[in-house]
Amino acid sequence: MKKWLALLLVVVFVFAVSGCGTPTPPADDTGDDAGDAPAALKVGMVTDAGTIDDKSFNQGTWEGILLAATDFGLETRYLQPGGTTEADYITEIGNLVDAEFMFVVCPGFKFETAIFDVQTRYPDAKFVLIDGFPHAGDWTPVVNDNVVSIFFTEHESGFLAGLATALQLGEGEVGFIGGMEIPPVQKFNWGFQQGVLYANENYDTNIVMNAENFIYQGTFDDVAAGQVLAAAMYDKGVDAIFAAAGGVGVGAINEAKTRASAGENVWIIGVDVDQYAEGIYDGASSIILTSAMKYIDVAAYDMIEAELNGAFPGGQILTFDASNYGIGIPKENPNLDPEVVEKVAAAFAEMQAGTLAVSDVQGDLIK
Amino acid sequence: MSVFAVILGLIAGAILMIATGNNPLDGFYFLFRGGLMNIERVGNTLATATPLIFAGLSVAFAFKTGLFNIGGAGQMLIGGLCATAIGLTFDWPKPILLAVIIIAALIGGALWASLPGLLKAKFNVHEVVSTIMMNWIAYWIIFYIVPQYFKGPFLETESQRIPAAASLKVPWLTSLFSGSFINLGFFLAIIVVVISAFILERTTLGYELKAVGYNRDAAGAAGINVNRNVILSMAIAGALAGLGGATFYVGFASNMQIGVLPAQGFDGIAVALLGANSPWGVFAAAIFFGILHTGKGFMNAMTAIPPEIADTIIATIIYFAATSVLIERNWDKLLKFNRDNLLRRKKKESLEVEAGGDQ
Repeated sequence: MKKWLALLLVVVFVFAVSGCGTPTPPADDTGDDAGDAPAALKVGMVTDAGTIDDKSFNQGTWEGILLAATDFGLETRYLQPGGTTEADYITEIGNLVDAEFMFVVCPGFKFETAIFDVQTRYPDAKFVLIDGFPHAGDWTPVVNDNVVSIFFTEHESGFLAGLATALQLGEGEVGFIGGMEIPPVQKFNWGFQQGVLYANENYDTNIVMNAENFIYQGTFDDVAAGQVLAAAMYDKGVDAIFAAAGGVGVGAINEAKTRASAGENVWIIGVDVDQYAEGIYDGASSIILTSAMKYIDVAAYDMIEAELNGAFPGGQILTFDASNYGIGIPKENPNLDPEVVEKVAAAFAEMQAGTLAVSDVQGDLIK
Repeated sequence: MSVFAVILGLIAGAILMIATGNNPLDGFYFLFRGGLMNIERVGNTLATATPLIFAGLSVAFAFKTGLFNIGGAGQMLIGGLCATAIGLTFDWPKPILLAVIIIAALIGGALWASLPGLLKAKFNVHEVVSTIMMNWIAYWIIFYIVPQYFKGPFLETESQRIPAAASLKVPWLTSLFSGSFINLGFFLAIIVVVISAFILERTTLGYELKAVGYNRDAAGAAGINVNRNVILSMAIAGALAGLGGATFYVGFASNMQIGVLPAQGFDGIAVALLGANSPWGVFAAAIFFGILHTGKGFMNAMTAIPPEIADTIIATIIYFAATSVLIERNWDKLLKFNRDNLLRRKKKESLEVEAGGDQ
């Protein structure tokens, strides 16, 4: 009996090993870069903490890549690191490059030091870093010619969402749930507050903001905590919560949907992408008042297009703001009145003209 | 480590690949190539395996005393915090700094885990419950202390970068493995495996710990101080996990992030199971897991297997391999049972024949 088992194992093992010995590699294996200049671009992406369908940052980037892939006929792939350390990110970027994905998009500030490493490790590959710039750990930007670094003016986006919220509510109280206390989230928060204050001053709205309702949960994935925080705020009388918190925001959205189904009048302001569809309850209405958007997908698409046209803006730090339509609220806002949308559009035009400035630092604002 | 279990795990992974419409031969080819294809990847495999060796040893050591240490993640965090705190605070020459970092991580992990040990010994609080809760206490301590005392100029969510003098990464090793993350932690792991094997197999302490694991009452009746050994076993397990934390946070990674329980702490359970709780078995199992974790991304990149399926495949291989150790053990029992039956029957037959012959 034991002999049979041993024999079976040997057969299986030989099968496995011989399988390894005679591979059937796809079209082109690594290592032969002689004369492959006109080969189609292969675009890869490494996800930040969270999954590809996070309804915000990862998903936005990926959708931009997919759109470019259909428009230009590219091969695409995304990898999900096993952890969130620099080593994990470098490993996955290396996997893409070794598989000849020579154009890699990395969404998130956490990639900063990893990109700093790989920009010299893989000089033939191109990298797009969203929301950060490469540095050695000392915050001195070192952007090589094969890297472009992209920032968004989250404070402008937050401002427009805050203004829209204040105008639509007219009177009431708003709160904020952030993910981690990192610059992009902080800027969303500060911009949002400025938008509300602007409405209070210029349009006679009466919106209250209490410091106790401006909270950073501390993660981007604790759905249950988002629900608890949102419930606490709604119980304290908050009418609308700006949730810039990834998965934590999903929890807040769930809480709002439950309450809205029960007849309460509560709202969430979405973030990064148009989250209207995420907030739909009872089939027709959505608890998403509007969303403070960053056009991450457009940024990813534009960079791929630029690379294909031979105009990759390597070595640069780009800012996507109101002036180049990099941020804004969604085009369709079923929950906003037309005159609110008009006033927000006016503010957007003033931003573009440079007559309306939004601060990206805390100043006298809450947290 | 059980080769049988590994093969069962790989077969389970292959079935999953076939079920999702992928060619398992391609999948495994790129998986192992990704883990072993060049010297850099071999280095990364060993670097990935390093914290797993410690975490696996931690679980295995406690298990020898009949304790189930699920607190590896928390003990790693505390060990890592001690290492990070010292690395960021003191500006000593590298050899001294590293020695102090390692000792601090060891002590930190040991103290952290001896608390559940104490609760178990004095009040019979089950260590599974208390170590899990200790994980979350550690998690929130890091959450508070790192941003409060060790954060960089901008980010609230991670510590400053570990200076080169406090890192287990050394330039000669990195360049030897052409830019890999391998660090001195791997050699520390080998030393610790040897020491653990020695303690368990060759010392009175090891004998007592195992005696308590086999049968507490019998050990107590034989004059072994059970409570002392329970606390000691947890402390050693914690020290091992604490060392793992040091190799993870100042070796593999280069800073400490808040809001993350290191997955290695839990993978250590599977490593220990697959390694049959023996130090060298744990070592081999951790390297096997290292290959899987390092090769996964390359398999993803070279085949059409999406990352989520790849994660599932890796998890299937790991947990199937780990649990089939149990199947294998029972298999042996089953074989033994059959053999005994056979022997008994033969004996009976021969007796009958003898009896018949007498007639």
